[in-house]
Amino acid sequence: MDKQKPEYLRPALIAGAIAGLLSGLPIISVGNCVCCLWIVGGAAMAAKLLAKNTSGILTSGDGAIVGALTGIVGAVVHMLIAIPLRPSNIELGRRMFDWLSSLGLDMPSNMDGLLDGSSGFLSPGLFLLGLFVSAAVYAIMGVLGGIIGVSIFGRKKPQASPPAAPLPPPPGPGDAT
Amino acid sequence: MSRSGISRTVIAIYLLTVTGTAIWLSAIFLAPVLAGRGSAGAARLIYAAFSPICHQVPGRCFIFHGHPLAVCIRCVGIYMGFAAGLVLYPFVRGVSKLELPSARVFLLLTLPMAIDGAAGILGIWPSPILVRFVTGAVWGTVLPFFLLTGLADLFLARRRKVAQTLENIRANNVE
Repeated sequence: MDKQKPEYLRPALIAGAIAGLLSGLPIISVGNCVCCLWIVGGAAMAAKLLAKNTSGILTSGDGAIVGALTGIVGAVVHMLIAIPLRPSNIELGRRMFDWLSSLGLDMPSNMDGLLDGSSGFLSPGLFLLGLFVSAAVYAIMGVLGGIIGVSIFGRKKPQASPPAAPLPPPPGPGDAT
Repeated sequence: MSRSGISRTVIAIYLLTVTGTAIWLSAIFLAPVLAGRGSAGAARLIYAAFSPICHQVPGRCFIFHGHPLAVCIRCVGIYMGFAAGLVLYPFVRGVSKLELPSARVFLLLTLPMAIDGAAGILGIWPSPILVRFVTGAVWGTVLPFFLLTGLADLFLARRRKVAQTLENIRANNVE
């Protein structure tokens, strides 16, 4: 039976948009500090959506494709969201540094200057560099999440049943005696 | 697909991944070296490249040549664990296996880092340096076993498809 070709784009767009949104929102985005949770989790969800919409068995390669697409979509959405939210994220960064300082961690003396500098105009070059790197890393993490997702949510191949024991031959005419 | 075909594909992907990992780790360590040598512009470029994927808080980074690494301690643990997993891969899996490891193994090895990270974020405990590094390294070690298998399966599927298409074209031409 021919395997129906999986439709990768739709699950990747849905899961990638959600993962990118969560990665860009202040406070919620720290979830990525825990095993790149939003990206890996988003890619695993994309694999689940793919498994739901595809008849037949998904391979780890299918998970890799949908995961990579999810990661790339997530990176683009994250970077786009990060632009208007930069002031909030910088303020959050300032508060985080204050909190870390209160824990006794040494902070560079020029931290205020660094934060003030990053609150200025972000050059297109640095933006594109950041987008390229995050797309690459998110794609790799997405591949991983997609493969894990297929491993968890993809339909398993039916176990091959052991060959049935051969039936005894029917009794012949001479066996009745 | 023959066993030798599978092995060749796995080996090719393995070598590409090793090369990429070496470049990635080199960049992480290069940033502080460049900063220490006065190449602030080049160092800033590398730090900026890694900034979308790591908070880079200096108090949570290893110091190398007097400057913080381009990523935090946990991330360094993950990447170095990944490198260690790559070293182990041929000995543990060989180069002709395409079955994925159990997802339970992945979830089990993710748990320490997830607990430590969540506890740190919630302020339950301050998460010592060594714990962050080790939990990251443990998670990173298991990643190649999924990543390489999945990528090998993907490329082999593509090769099979191309071979099938060529076979169909040849059959059509014969007719």
